[in-house]
Parts: sequence; C-alpha cells; structure tokens
Amino acid sequence: MINIVRNLAYFVILILVQILLLNNIHFLRLVTPFLYIYFIIKLPVGYTSVQVTILSFLLGIVIDMLSNTPGMHAAACTLAGFARPFIIQIFMRENLSENLIPSYKTFGYGHFIRIVLLLVTVHHVALFLIESVTLFDPLFLTIRVVAGIATTTVLICAVESFNKESRRND
Amino acid sequence: MRRLLDFLVGKRHWFLFLLLEAISFIFIYRNNAYQQSVMLSTANMASARIVSFTGAVTSYLKLQDKNKALVERNGQLEIEVLRLRRQVEAMTADTTVFRGFISNENERLFPYNVVAAKVVNNSVMYLSNYITIDKGRNDGIKPDMGVISESGVVGIVSKVSDHYAVVIPLLNPKFRLSCKVLGSSYFGSMSWDGRSARYAKLDELPRHVEFKEGDIIVTSGFSAIFPEGIMVGNVSSFERQRNDNFYSLTVQLATDFHHLSNVMVIRNYHQEEQTQLEQEAKIND
Repeated sequence: MINIVRNLAYFVILILVQILLLNNIHFLRLVTPFLYIYFIIKLPVGYTSVQVTILSFLLGIVIDMLSNTPGMHAAACTLAGFARPFIIQIFMRENLSENLIPSYKTFGYGHFIRIVLLLVTVHHVALFLIESVTLFDPLFLTIRVVAGIATTTVLICAVESFNKESRRND
Repeated sequence: MRRLLDFLVGKRHWFLFLLLEAISFIFIYRNNAYQQSVMLSTANMASARIVSFTGAVTSYLKLQDKNKALVERNGQLEIEVLRLRRQVEAMTADTTVFRGFISNENERLFPYNVVAAKVVNNSVMYLSNYITIDKGRNDGIKPDMGVISESGVVGIVSKVSDHYAVVIPLLNPKFRLSCKVLGSSYFGSMSWDGRSARYAKLDELPRHVEFKEGDIIVTSGFSAIFPEGIMVGNVSSFERQRNDNFYSLTVQLATDFHHLSNVMVIRNYHQEEQTQLEQEAKIND
C-alpha cells in the first residue's frame, strides 16, 4: 500500500516537473533533459518484468499526451522498462530484498551511476531513433543523443543525491 | 501441450513488451498520417487544461517583450494607415466617386480576416513540433487555416477540438510553404531541416532570380491558406543545388518560435471554393 502511494507520488511529481518545467528547457537549443525516467529507476527491485513494463508504458503515454508526441515516449519508455530487470541483474548482489529501491546507498555510487547511464542510453537511443523516422540526419542525431544522455544522467544523479527518501532508507 | 503453455506463461513479459511496443508504434504511425487522433494530443480537454495553466503563468513573464513588440507594430501600422489615407485622398480628390461599386469590389479582392489566439503549448525541441492554441471550432477555426504571429508566418491549423486547436508550425518537416523573394514573382518551397529553430531552408528557387543576403522572403499567395506578401524571414546565406538549376537558401525566420505567445489565425472566405475548384480540376484531368 505504501509502495502504491509512493509510486503514484513519484509518477505525478515527475510528470509535472517534466511538462511544466523541463520541456521548456532547450540547452544550447539542442538538449532537453528527460528527468521522468527517474520514475522507472526508482521502482522497487522486487517488481516483476510485467509490472515494470506496464508502469513504464503508462508513464510514456501520459508524457506523450501532454507534449503532443503520440507514441514516441511510450515506445522508448516501454523499452527502457523492459530492459531494467536485465540491467539490474548485471549489477545484482545476492542478498537484495524485495522492497529495495535502487539508490547510491543500496547499490553503491559506481553501480548506481552505471545503471542510470545504461537505462538512459537505452531510452534516449530509442527515442531519438523513433523521432528521426520523419527526418534522418546522422551527424545531428548523434550529437543530440550523446548530449541528451549526458545531461539526463547528470540531472538524475544530482536529483538522487538530494533525494531524502534514499538517505533515510537504511 | 502442457509444456507449451508453461513456456508461454514463463515468457509472458516478452509478449506484453511486444504488445505495448506495437500499441506505441500504432500511435506513432497514426500521428504521421495526416489525420491524427485528437484523444492523444493536447487538443483534448484534460491535457489542454494542464498545459494552458503553464501558458497562463509564462505569458506574464513574456509581457514586457510582447508589449514592446506590440508598440512597435502599432507604430508601423499607424504609418501604414497614414500612407494609405493619403493615397486614398489622392485618388478620390477631384474625381466623381461611385461609392457602392468601390466598397463591394474591395471586399472581393481581400477575402481574409483574423482571429486572435493565445499559445498554450509550444515545442521547438523535437524534429516534428506542434503548437496548441486556445481557440477552436466554437471560434470558427477549421483545419488548414493559416496562423501568423505579429512578426511573421507561424504555421497551419491541423486539428481542431471545441475550444483548442493544434497548429503544425514551420518547425515541422510535414509543413511546406510556398515562398518568394519580395519583389520577384518566382517562387520556391520552404521547409525545415530540424536543426535550429531560427533558420529554415528555401529550395527550388530558379537560378535566374536575383537576390542578395538580407533580402526579405514573403509568402507567395499561391495556396488558399496565406494571402500574398506575409513576412517569412530574411535570406541569411545561399548555395546552388546539386543539379545547378536551382538555388537553396537558408532563411532566418522572422518569427521567434522560442518566445511565441500571441498568434492570429487567418480565415479565408474563399478557401473552400478555391480548394474545391482545384480538386475538381485534378479529378477531371
């Protein structure tokens, strides 16, 4: 029950921050950070692949409805959500409990940042490839993907270090 | 059979994943088709409410700039009014005026009027950008109407709900605009290359057209959407296209899509008549 409320809070807050604030940022007229993937990262480790994929799809479709991009974010988020259990498995230590939430404390700085980086990469590559279906421009595409991954990863790591929930957790 | 079922249940997350991706791609595909679903865009009521809240907040932050632009525009229009008044005076002076004839004729020559609207959602960061405005079907907005800002062309209305409309701006590869260099009558086709929101490309301009950097690009008026001579931008650089018979121009857009808050929708009384006629001609051909 607590988990549902917690997830809902993350869901609503991250979507509002993304739509009302971050979607208006175009750093160097090139990069827009997509902080909302933080929701997928912060789901408890015990969630099954099915649960994570459905929640990610819902996140993507809501973002799509609010930013006029039908399907784009949904497709990228579904892929990221589906990839998450595999990515976490790579860094998984034996004794992780069901309700454990990924953070610096639970995974260690190195592993957590690597998980974020991998997940953000999967999401951004998918998103920008889907977007470039309308207009293909390889050089510009690469620049945008790399800059986007760097910005979003840094932002997520920064938000994580200010997240009180993660510090209190153990 | 039992083992097959076990296998399917064991792999259910794969099937779910494929199903959800398929749904997403159906949305993407439907969006790329010309008629997209209103449900999934900001033209639907619920999401329009949320984004118009942002619009309401940010529009206050832009007020100062807007005010300045409006004052400037006001000044320009006042000068235009004076100029025209003088012209009219010169034309009507010492001549016999047949009033009924003139007023009727003017209306036929310029069948446009405008509806002012506010931008409630705007993007410049995607390859295909969209703008949502707060006027819809109830205000007489229909798909395929032109949209301009106080400084130049913005885009074309693509979808309409009762109170909102979604505009395809110049910053969208789906949008092509017929343009010409001010003062000449040869026209080219303008499109966006997905890079900077300040520049667009004007292709297919014949090689013998004379122009230089800084020249003004305006709409050609060959479609029923925009009247002739609406500001689009300035020539910032140009090069010859591969086959050497056409120029490709980089145009600095007059409209600053980063700071768009007030726009006007152009209504053309004769648009339906013209498009209908053109389509009939194509069918009969």
